[in-house]
Amino acid sequence: MSLADAAVPTAAMPSGSATHAAAPTRVRGAWGRLLRSELRLVFGRRRNIALLVGLACVPLLLGTVLFVTRDSALGGQGPGFISRVTENGLFLVVAALFMCLPFLLPLTTGIASGDAIAGEAQAGTLRYLLAVPVSRARLLGIKALATLAYVACAVLAIAVVAFVVGAVMFGVGDVTLLSGTTVPVADGVLRIAGVAAYVALSLTGLVAVGLFLSTLTEVPVGAMAGTVVVAIVSAVLDTLPQLAVIHPGLLTHHWLDFAEFLRLEVGWGVLGQGLAVQAAWVAVFGALAWSRFTTADVTS
Amino acid sequence: MDEQTDPTTSATAGPTTDATGAPDAGARRRARRRWAVPVAVGAAVAAAFAGPTLVASAGGEGLPDRTAEELLAAVAQAEPQALSGTVVYTARLGLPEIPFVEAGGADPIALLGGSSTLRVWSDGEDRSRVALLGATSEYSVVRDGAEAWTYSSADDEVVHYLLSDADAARYAELESQLEQGPPPEVAGDLPTPEEAAAQVLAAAEETSTVSVDGQTTVAGRDAYQLVVTPRSTGTLVARVVVAVDAETSAPLRVQVWSTQDDGAPALEVGFTDVEFTVPDAAVLEFSAPAGADQRDVVVPLPEAPEADAARAQLGTDAHGLPTHPDVTVTGEGWDRVVELAGVDVASLVAGDPEGVETLPGGELTIGSPEAQELLREFKPTDGEGGMELDTSALYEQLTTEVPEGRLLSSTLLSVLVTHDGRVLVGAVPAETLRDLA
Amino acid sequence: MATTLPARQTPHATGRAGSAEPVHRADVAVDAASGMLTGVDLAVRTAGLTKRFRSGQVAVDGIDLEVPRGSVYGFLGPNGSGKTTTIRMLLGLVGPTDGRAWLLGEPMPDAAARVLPRVGVLVEGPAFQPYLSGAANLARLDAADATADPRTSRRRTGDALERVGLAAAARKPYRQYSLGMKQRLGLAAALLRPRDLLVLDEPTNGLDPQGTREVRHLVRELADAGTTVLVSSHLLTEIEQVCSHIGIMSRGRLLAQGERSVLTDARPARVVVTTTVADADRAAAVLGSLGLVDVVRDGAVLEAALGTPPETVSAALVGAGVPLLGLEVRRPSLEQLFVTLTGEGFDVAR
Repeated sequence: MSLADAAVPTAAMPSGSATHAAAPTRVRGAWGRLLRSELRLVFGRRRNIALLVGLACVPLLLGTVLFVTRDSALGGQGPGFISRVTENGLFLVVAALFMCLPFLLPLTTGIASGDAIAGEAQAGTLRYLLAVPVSRARLLGIKALATLAYVACAVLAIAVVAFVVGAVMFGVGDVTLLSGTTVPVADGVLRIAGVAAYVALSLTGLVAVGLFLSTLTEVPVGAMAGTVVVAIVSAVLDTLPQLAVIHPGLLTHHWLDFAEFLRLEVGWGVLGQGLAVQAAWVAVFGALAWSRFTTADVTS
Repeated sequence: MDEQTDPTTSATAGPTTDATGAPDAGARRRARRRWAVPVAVGAAVAAAFAGPTLVASAGGEGLPDRTAEELLAAVAQAEPQALSGTVVYTARLGLPEIPFVEAGGADPIALLGGSSTLRVWSDGEDRSRVALLGATSEYSVVRDGAEAWTYSSADDEVVHYLLSDADAARYAELESQLEQGPPPEVAGDLPTPEEAAAQVLAAAEETSTVSVDGQTTVAGRDAYQLVVTPRSTGTLVARVVVAVDAETSAPLRVQVWSTQDDGAPALEVGFTDVEFTVPDAAVLEFSAPAGADQRDVVVPLPEAPEADAARAQLGTDAHGLPTHPDVTVTGEGWDRVVELAGVDVASLVAGDPEGVETLPGGELTIGSPEAQELLREFKPTDGEGGMELDTSALYEQLTTEVPEGRLLSSTLLSVLVTHDGRVLVGAVPAETLRDLA
Repeated sequence: MATTLPARQTPHATGRAGSAEPVHRADVAVDAASGMLTGVDLAVRTAGLTKRFRSGQVAVDGIDLEVPRGSVYGFLGPNGSGKTTTIRMLLGLVGPTDGRAWLLGEPMPDAAARVLPRVGVLVEGPAFQPYLSGAANLARLDAADATADPRTSRRRTGDALERVGLAAAARKPYRQYSLGMKQRLGLAAALLRPRDLLVLDEPTNGLDPQGTREVRHLVRELADAGTTVLVSSHLLTEIEQVCSHIGIMSRGRLLAQGERSVLTDARPARVVVTTTVADADRAAAVLGSLGLVDVVRDGAVLEAALGTPPETVSAALVGAGVPLLGLEVRRPSLEQLFVTLTGEGFDVAR
């Protein structure tokens, strides 16, 4: 079939006089439509799904290892919450999140956010989206929402798989808190849901950083690596006592505060402070990303 | 336009460019304005985070003046308050850096350096809970009358302190008389501003001058500041500053300043937030979680404070035992140096319970309350050490080799372990200890 | 106004600063009061549009583009002459360093949200998500269009694919497309909706001769339906035939623009005189006496720039008794015009 042979719906073409037609009007729900399309793109991509599956394997692996070794001398040992998993499968959720938090989750966040703009730029699709037209601020907002949704799914994947694996392998019972107090299962599940939610929200600052880096380059791998490096550098700085002054403002400083959910009295103030720091990073780097993206030349 | 110009050229070239095509400086101005947004956001964020701190450090003015004597009396008379709050404990002892954080769990050893956060709940009577918060762990000390528990989440271990039957009976009797008996001693106790202040102010007037400094704000509350300055110049302690809540006369913060460091207090323990309300009953209860290791430790009932003080004068130790023959006390007040002989240092640092046995009366009053506190921290909490740290490596790291033995010197406390098994401890410069040895 | 142009005067345009004789349409008048162009409605217009990159390189140097509505405007120039940067500025992808641009009478990039839904674009080759099918890629662009009715999305993408002959490959992942299919999908994206203006940057790239013919056909068809088409190419011959207007870019400058016929007619033709070898010298002298320059002699064939009407030449030759075996007037082609203007050759070969 050739271009010429194709049936041309002549009626659809603007006539000479139609060239002066008024601008097309916006359709309601355009935001939602683009967001759905973006989510389909993100979650339809094989790489992203593979990443989610990989993350979901962490609790499976961890649970299996703990299950196999639980009667050996090594059983019940390990940092953080790992030693508690064999007593109560619910702790597998916390242990798995705890294990993924230093590197795997930042890596996932970096891949998702670093790819957001730079990936489109590299593929060249950015220029076509902008020429549709999509306003740059809207595109950035959509990209941010889709990335956040993906990161939330990553945390959720870990938590849900860990919950199931933990329940199957070790059973679920009343939860012994860090304070030594034991709370009923329902309360424990709520608290652990809180842990997962806090972990997911803790990654929002990093998403903003990744988005900003993503607007700086046409090489998505660069933005991804940069984002992971930011998280790691922040964690390293957090261990230097000489920098104690800036510690409370560091991106990763409050990440482990999810432990508040496992204390006798949940320190809402502590959690609030952690989220406030994330909000600050989101505000600053969101604004930077907006400034950069709405003024940059798209030459890709 | 030259001669060879195309005939299609009209005379309109100039005007079309100029009339409507004004140079687009607006876009660049707009771009610059865009970049002002993150700058403004950054400033707003900085203000939001720095603002409360600035406001908090101001204030504290406008309280009626009170003399040192009035304040001391007020503190002494104040009923213990029911409260719940957060305490930050900061030690700048000038010790070598120890990777406490990496040691993992919340452990009292972390109090040796850096900053620790504790949560404190008290009903103002004989029930309380103090929790040392680790990043993902917690070490709790719960007192309920004659009983006490410590719980370490890292080890999932409960230590239950209780009295012997005889002591329990005596405790009940005391309680009926005084309404409150002295709480049992707990190894690995955690500091609170209240306790620290009580220790400092108890005998303050005998060996120190007490004055009132400017007013301040602690945990958002107006407070007076009592300054306790040792009269002696032979001690490492320059002064102790106690912030006293203007309303309740409860101590809110204690700072111990060293003569070695004028920039920041060597020890600081103070509330960052506090509420004087009775905490939830559930907080003050403790029952060992299922599956946790539990040990019972029977402790002797401490004497009433009055008797305690009297006995100290007479040369008995806090446990009511006669003074250990191997303990020698030199100097008095802030300058006091305690010498312990016959300590099996090697097994002590190896965490061997036998070594602990050789340590006579670790709870003895040594120099200052802080010194005593510190020594207690160094003493392994129990036979198993209660910590994952390699204590002998820690010992090597903390101490330095001197001709007399090994010396630990910090901004507030010096400890000398001699080759012949004597341990000298005091809130005095290291030279003093070496001279004594 | 003299009409002679020394044919070998090479960098005559590029060497000068400012607008090197932008060729303005004679029928465009300027309203003295508003400065707005009247007479002809322009679909694309720029005024002093300039882009200087941060590296200091001036990609586009003060061009005044005028694309009348309903025209097919051939935007010609070799690779790297600034065509694509100009198009990016028109679409608001790149911010101009100086100057302004209007699309369909509205200022860009301010009116992008109003104007761009009426503009179909193909910029610097097609670009789509490689792991999505052709149809899914179009659906994505359609979803991005805030003015598109979601209910008719499927029909739009189907029609567009049908139109470029990709209906059969609609479900295939884009990365499996051949170069030509990719190009067609790019055209389909530009044709997702009825457009008032099409901006096609190198639409024939990667297409075989058949595909190129199809694109030409499509452009003509769209133009017949009233759509203005701005089509850029570095391959002059491929689009020359469909263009009603021509703009020639070289090294960031717009050297000439206007109606194609006017542009080419305006250039000096060459006269080719065939006589006998014996009379060639005499003929050359006659041509010289007429003031014709650049006389080239090749045996019995003489060639010169035509500075006077051809009938004058023939009359003079006959009058001088030169046996006139043949006289031919050669009008310059667009390519010759280009070489004349820039001193550069077009990439004739692929």
